[in-house]
Amino acid sequence: MKTVVRTEKLTKRFGDLAAVDGIDLDVHEGEVFGFLGPNGAGKTTTLRLLCALIAPTSGTAEIAGFRLGRDDAKIRAAVGILTELPGLYERQSAWDNLIFYATLYGLAPSVARGQAERYLRMMGLWERRGEPVVTFSRGMKQKMAIARAALHEPRVLFLDEPTTGLDPDAAKTVREFIVALRGEGRTVFLCTHNLDEADRLCDRIAFFRHRVIRIADPDELRAELYGRATEIRVMPKPRAEDLIRVQAVPGVREAHLENGSIVVASADPLRTNPLLVKALVDGGAEIAYVTERKPHLEEVYLRIVEPIE
Amino acid sequence: MTSVVAVSPARPTLVRAVCVREWREALGNKLLVGMTLLPPVVILVAGIGAVAAAAVNPPSDRDVQALYAAAPAVAGLDPKEAVQGFIATYFLILFMLIPTVVPLTMAIYSVIGEKASRTLEPLLATPVGVGDLLFAKSLASTVPSVIVTWAAYGIYLATVISLGSRAAVNAVTAPRWILAIIVLVPLLTLLSVNLGILISTRVNDVRVAQQIGGLVVVPVVGLGIAQVTGRVVLDNGAFLEMTIVLMVLDLVVFWLARLAFQRENILVRWR
Repeated sequence: MKTVVRTEKLTKRFGDLAAVDGIDLDVHEGEVFGFLGPNGAGKTTTLRLLCALIAPTSGTAEIAGFRLGRDDAKIRAAVGILTELPGLYERQSAWDNLIFYATLYGLAPSVARGQAERYLRMMGLWERRGEPVVTFSRGMKQKMAIARAALHEPRVLFLDEPTTGLDPDAAKTVREFIVALRGEGRTVFLCTHNLDEADRLCDRIAFFRHRVIRIADPDELRAELYGRATEIRVMPKPRAEDLIRVQAVPGVREAHLENGSIVVASADPLRTNPLLVKALVDGGAEIAYVTERKPHLEEVYLRIVEPIE
Repeated sequence: MTSVVAVSPARPTLVRAVCVREWREALGNKLLVGMTLLPPVVILVAGIGAVAAAAVNPPSDRDVQALYAAAPAVAGLDPKEAVQGFIATYFLILFMLIPTVVPLTMAIYSVIGEKASRTLEPLLATPVGVGDLLFAKSLASTVPSVIVTWAAYGIYLATVISLGSRAAVNAVTAPRWILAIIVLVPLLTLLSVNLGILISTRVNDVRVAQQIGGLVVVPVVGLGIAQVTGRVVLDNGAFLEMTIVLMVLDLVVFWLARLAFQRENILVRWR
């Protein structure tokens, strides 16, 4: 898998504070890479470093094949960034905002117009392209800012809190956009506090507090921390003998009753689950549903990030 | 993947894009438009009014003697002509104030406005060079100010030629003054613009920036008064010296503004 963002011991100090402390990252082409950490952990500083907006104190980085510190203008041309606030020229129209930025990214006028139309349509803003941005809702402004970040078709898109403060409809549009970008083979570097969103979108997640604590696939991390669990809902409610039957199935590590369900931990649920269902049905139980039990990413986050001070 | 190749734009393209955007933004700001047009309009109306009034109100003997003593350039002329010549020259100096006041406001709004609306970070995330960006911003404030000053001077010149006495016409059409308007106005404008940008990197309040930047008018006013009252004669040598001093000041202030206008400074240290 091709790496589009690679850092080695990348560090940024402000006086005595190491905002970013020797991070090593490898982000692959076409993945949505989550970057999670508490406020003040240095996420925005990391984004600014990787977008060649500020210089590292030490360490190296290569973004989209360009070396940080040597090819900064090329890095800025190859990446797009959604900053914490939209930062749009509010007296100007949506169209003029995008055309201005397309010009700054060196796009030819005809290409700029085509790209502006493409992204305004994609974000559902085409009909309002001539209106000043000041008349837009917060969600529309955020969508405008995302369109601006993607306008020049960057290889890597850095998104800082893209759905914060958005209504569900606008947030859905943004999430669909991220999925579409991944489908096109682009890399999305996603900073977010919305753990549900990170869970749904990210292929891998870095837990970060000034340094990278852990990088992992969210499901693999759950399995590692909590094991793989299956929840079986039995109608009207599980009996004591149902639990005994389940515990006797080969591969089951642990089983218990919880809120009218049997929760079963096993090493290999794909192999064990059919046996569980068969054992229960053979014993006369009526199964309402069988589902994978996933601890919320928040639990994982708190377990990994909170102990690090 | 759609094939679009982003690159750093050519400098003329960048300058044109920034200028057009800034002018659109400025035209949408009624306060800024008013503050840009008010000084030249006031000076123009007052200048034309004063020259016209001098033609119909003969001065007293005592005023004339005082005028001859204060302004040797008009000594010995017919009193009405002398007064008109003096007033016409005095207002020419006020025209030199326009390039110190008008672009300062525009430059301050250009930077503080971007700071306030948080538009600088996305702008700096593009592949443009900050030096080019600063140059484009300077030009965006300089060009309208120079045009406004030249236009106001043109109207003043035409009006004085049609209404004024020979002394007044001689004063406003003196090659030295025409050259001053052509050469010194852009230099003063650039100085004011870059000073405005430099101040705006340090403060967040437009009014505070204007108060600090407003000090740039003091030497111009002082020089003008000294020239009108005969204490300084703006001959060719003095004019050349002023041009050289302004060019050096322009370069120094632009260099200082360029030092302050660094990506990392703007994002991390500007508040």
